[in-house]
Amino acid sequence: MKPSVEEIGALLALKRHERPEEGYFDDFLREFHHRRREEEVLKSGPSGWLRRASAWFSNLGASRWAYGAGLAYATVTALFLLAPDAPREQPAAPVPVHYKVAPAEPAAVEQLKALDLHPSSQGSTGEQEF
Amino acid sequence: MPDDPLQPDPDEDLVTRAQNGDTRAFDALILKYGEKLYGLVYNMTSHKEDTHDLLQDIFAKAYHSLPRFRGQASFYTWIYQIAVNMTLNFLKKRKRRSGMSLNELDSSIQLDPALVDTSHLANPEKQSKLHELQKRLNEAMLSLSEAHRTVVTMFDIQGLPHAEIARILKTSEGTVRSRLHYAHLHLQSKLQDYWE
Repeated sequence: MKPSVEEIGALLALKRHERPEEGYFDDFLREFHHRRREEEVLKSGPSGWLRRASAWFSNLGASRWAYGAGLAYATVTALFLLAPDAPREQPAAPVPVHYKVAPAEPAAVEQLKALDLHPSSQGSTGEQEF
Repeated sequence: MPDDPLQPDPDEDLVTRAQNGDTRAFDALILKYGEKLYGLVYNMTSHKEDTHDLLQDIFAKAYHSLPRFRGQASFYTWIYQIAVNMTLNFLKKRKRRSGMSLNELDSSIQLDPALVDTSHLANPEKQSKLHELQKRLNEAMLSLSEAHRTVVTMFDIQGLPHAEIARILKTSEGTVRSRLHYAHLHLQSKLQDYWE
C-alpha cells in the first residue's frame, strides 16, 4: 500500500525538530571569528601582523605601560647580547730572533777518524790466519 | 518567514550595522538563521561534519558579500540562496569525488529522536516499525535527485511556501510544484513496501 502525499508530508514534517546539540552555535561563532581573523591575517601579509600587534597593544589599557617597559628591557637585552664584540687590542707582533747556528761536525765522521784503519794493524794482504 | 516585497526587511537594521563593521550584528544574524540553515544543509547532505563545514563557508561567504547586498530581496532569501547554491555545488563535488555510499552518511539521522513518537513508547513493536520507516524515509530522500531533495527539504521539512522556494531557487512556482509532485511520487513508491 502506498502512503498518501499528506502522510509523507507529515512524516517529513517531523524532521523539522532536528536540531544541533545544545551550545553548538556558541562554538560555531567562536570558530567563525577565529577563521575570519586567520583569513584576514593571511590576506594582509606582514603588514597585517604589524597592524594586529598594534591593535592588540592599544587595546591593553593601563597595563600597556608594563608591557611596554618589559618590551623595551627585552629589546635592550637582545641588542646587548646580539651586538658584535668591540675590537680587541691586537697582540704585539713577535720580534724576530736571529741565532747563528754553526753546523755541528757529524758524529759519524769523528767515529771514522777514531778508528785505526792502517794496514799494519789489519794483517798482511793475502795472508789469512786460521 | 515569507519574503513580502511590500513589507520592510525585518533584518534591515542588523544588516546595516553588519555592513558598517559591527560583528555583533552579524553574530545576531548567524544566531537567527543558523538553525534553519543547519536543517536545510543537514537534510540535503545527511552528514554532520559536512553540514558544519558548509555552514561555516556559507556564513563566511555571506560576510564577505554583505557589502554588495543591496536589499533587493530580504536578507533571509539572500542567505538561503547562498546556502542552497553552495550546498548543491558541494553535493556535485561529493558525487564526483567518490560516489559516497549510504553507509558513509550520518547514521544519527537514522535514529533521529524527533521521529520517535512518545505516545508509542509503550508499544515496542510500533516503535520499531517507526524506526524502520524513518530509516527507509531517509534512504528514499537520499535517492532523490539534488533538485528534488532541495524542494522537499524546503517545503515538507522546513515549511517554506512555494513562492518563497521559487524566489530562493530563482525559478517559477510551477517548476517548484512540478518538482515536488515528482519527488512525492518517488517517495511514495520507495515507501510502499513499508507502509501499512
